Amino acid sequence: MKKILFSLVALTFLLLAACSSDSNGNNEQGSNGNEEGGESAADQELIYATTSDAPGLSPIDTNDSVSSNVVDQVFETLFVRNSDTGEIEPRLAESYETPDDTTWVIELKEGIEFHDGTPFNAEAVKYTFETLIDPERAAPRASLLAPVESVEVEDEYTVVINTKEPYGAMLAALSHSNSAIVSPEADQNGDINQEPVGTGPYKFVEWSKGDQIVLEKNEDYWRGEPGLDKVTFKVVPSVSTAISMMETGEVHFIDGVTSEHKSRIEGNDSFELITKDGTPVYNLGFNYEHEPMNDVEFRKAVSHALNRDSYVETLDGLGVRSNSIVGPQVFGYDESNEDLGYEYDPEKAKEIVEENGFDSETYHMLVPNRDAYINMGEIVQAQLSEVGINVEMEMMEWGTFLDVATEGEFDLTFLSWSNVTGDGSELLYPNLHSDNIGSSNRARYANDEFDQLVEASRDTTDQEARKEFLVEANQLAVEDAIWIPMHHGVIAAAVHESVKGLELESTGRWELYQVTRE
Amino acid sequence: MLNLIVSRIAQMFFLLIGISFIVFMSMHFAPGDPARIIGGPTATESDITNIRISLGLDQPVLIQYKDYLLGVLQGDLGYSYQTNESVNEAIATRFPNTLNLAIASMIVAIIIGVFAGVISALKQNTWLDVFTTTGALAGISIPNFWLGTILILIFAVNLQWLPAGQLTAPFWTVEGMKQLILPAITLGTGSAALIARMTRSSMLEVVRSDYVRTARAKGVKEKVVVFVHCMRNAMIPVITVIGMNFGFLLGGTIITEQVFAINGVGRLMIDAIANRDFPMVQGSVLLVASLFVIVNLIVDIVYAFIDPRISYD
Repeated sequence: MKKILFSLVALTFLLLAACSSDSNGNNEQGSNGNEEGGESAADQELIYATTSDAPGLSPIDTNDSVSSNVVDQVFETLFVRNSDTGEIEPRLAESYETPDDTTWVIELKEGIEFHDGTPFNAEAVKYTFETLIDPERAAPRASLLAPVESVEVEDEYTVVINTKEPYGAMLAALSHSNSAIVSPEADQNGDINQEPVGTGPYKFVEWSKGDQIVLEKNEDYWRGEPGLDKVTFKVVPSVSTAISMMETGEVHFIDGVTSEHKSRIEGNDSFELITKDGTPVYNLGFNYEHEPMNDVEFRKAVSHALNRDSYVETLDGLGVRSNSIVGPQVFGYDESNEDLGYEYDPEKAKEIVEENGFDSETYHMLVPNRDAYINMGEIVQAQLSEVGINVEMEMMEWGTFLDVATEGEFDLTFLSWSNVTGDGSELLYPNLHSDNIGSSNRARYANDEFDQLVEASRDTTDQEARKEFLVEANQLAVEDAIWIPMHHGVIAAAVHESVKGLELESTGRWELYQVTRE
Repeated sequence: MLNLIVSRIAQMFFLLIGISFIVFMSMHFAPGDPARIIGGPTATESDITNIRISLGLDQPVLIQYKDYLLGVLQGDLGYSYQTNESVNEAIATRFPNTLNLAIASMIVAIIIGVFAGVISALKQNTWLDVFTTTGALAGISIPNFWLGTILILIFAVNLQWLPAGQLTAPFWTVEGMKQLILPAITLGTGSAALIARMTRSSMLEVVRSDYVRTARAKGVKEKVVVFVHCMRNAMIPVITVIGMNFGFLLGGTIITEQVFAINGVGRLMIDAIANRDFPMVQGSVLLVASLFVIVNLIVDIVYAFIDPRISYD
């Protein structure tokens, strides 16, 4: 028996020793390679860790951020939002004009080809947009171009979009990942949701489902050769494991960093945390069809009861405090809106609660079981109970939550909106316009005056006028306290120090075109 | 024996049809709409209706089930709602990872469990016994996600001996084995502890039995007494535990797969449930259920070989 015990122990040590010397060897090779290889092309490889696999890789057939991260490298849109100025600039488009309110004439850049050699031209744009709004294709983001009546090819590089009514957010819609232009050839003869073909800086190589997606440099890219040779999107469900893999050099880049993991990243000298104030908004919403949530006094009392400054502090810099529903990074924001709303004043809240007898009932607060919302829920519940408003928290898995919240089975709930277009109309219309009660207007808010302002912001193509309508609509919603903005998102990513040139957009998107490794 | 196998396989067929019905119905009646999840929070009602029609979800549930069952009987598990990937293919590419992980964990569990159990039985009430029984209790109590994370921090991040995640190399290569070590220990610890406890109690019983005393009295060497006379009888209940555990391991790799970023059936299943990807959930549950039934059948057969007194005729 002793012999067996001894030999087992010896074997274990031998194995571990073998492993350690072997992997140390690998590591040395790896780091030497990196040091020498500033110029060597072989090192221009970037590995990004994503918490879930992409459902698909076609801009037409997907509507989620994981897919968009790949789509944004392979495909391009006609317009893009400049991440510094917030202005919309042409990308595949050369210029545009609007001869009247319902006509958009867009000139396209010439001499660009898709990865399969198909020329990029007005036909490709027409094909893409018509496919996006085709009900048979059932594109999840068909609503982006819902106001479009027809798309016409005027000549090889001029496309004309006619809309049913004036569509103010057209440029924002055309800069959305899901309206990126696809190769008609590839879409008709294959499945671009599996093998995407666009005009972007990186070409699709392979996708092993659930494991990784590999892209390679598009050497003929029209803006000049991209910085990286190879990009790998690895599926790593646990953020903690992804950070460990960054520490071991198996991963170079993660995004969606939350305050929970921030200190671990900041504690490592070879990591860099990149942040940017973003367009997402997280809010506490009321059910406008339930009593007493439909009473503005109740909503005021809740606003006065919430100490949002102290809540935002718990986010450790990864959230921005603002009174405005349309956030600082979103088109339609105006600083004057910061003076609106109802400041933290528990005494006043208590007064309103007692006057109206709001303390006689227990209210049902629906919370999705994701960390950020649970934190919000617990803080709000505690602060409300201090002023006499009793709230019972019900936590729900995300898929169920979406259903139950859409059915309106709650008194209070938390919602967020990532606002990928960065346009205020695209925030206020889906979430708070009465057209969308029963779908995305989960607060079931119905206010004629508000509706009209939001419609005006959508039906006007003059951007200055649009902004005024949005500011006014926002003012109304904040005063009405139908949504209490908890915080506005901060986009955060962590990269290995060897990764240079990564810029985040306020919408959470990023492009790898200019990224290199040193 | 042949009768047993044939009748068990026939039973299994009906059992699996029953399981498919229950899973199908519970997914369809559970809250959460696949179309709404595909559309995301920004989709409008008309987007969602279009998606629902394209998935065939506008049909009555029983008709959907009938179509599904006909497909399954022909070996076609359908297509994912989310990715339109064939469920057969999705499972075929991921199952080898889960199987490798389960087998590696089982090996870890058997080596540690049987060894610890035998030692603690033979050295009953010594410090070695206390040490192994306490270890077994700890092994059962430690949650996988915690153990996995700690092992990654120690062996991958700090010592840099082993990779932190993913199974990318084939298991027969050195790289592949290194990738399997941490997940296998993480998943195998709980089973090792169970096996150790079972082995210990079963050995204690056998060691005290008359025939063992007779063997010793006859002057048979201690090694032969332990490994030939005791082990063979003591292993019967242990094999049940091993068999049951292997079934659990195949279905219970979910957390370990999450922590170690392993692309296996467990993760496929949990993602599919979160996305209400009905065909994928049904396919993977059917797979796990079939494996469980098959493993149990194998355990029954192995009994008969180990203990000739057991007969199924």
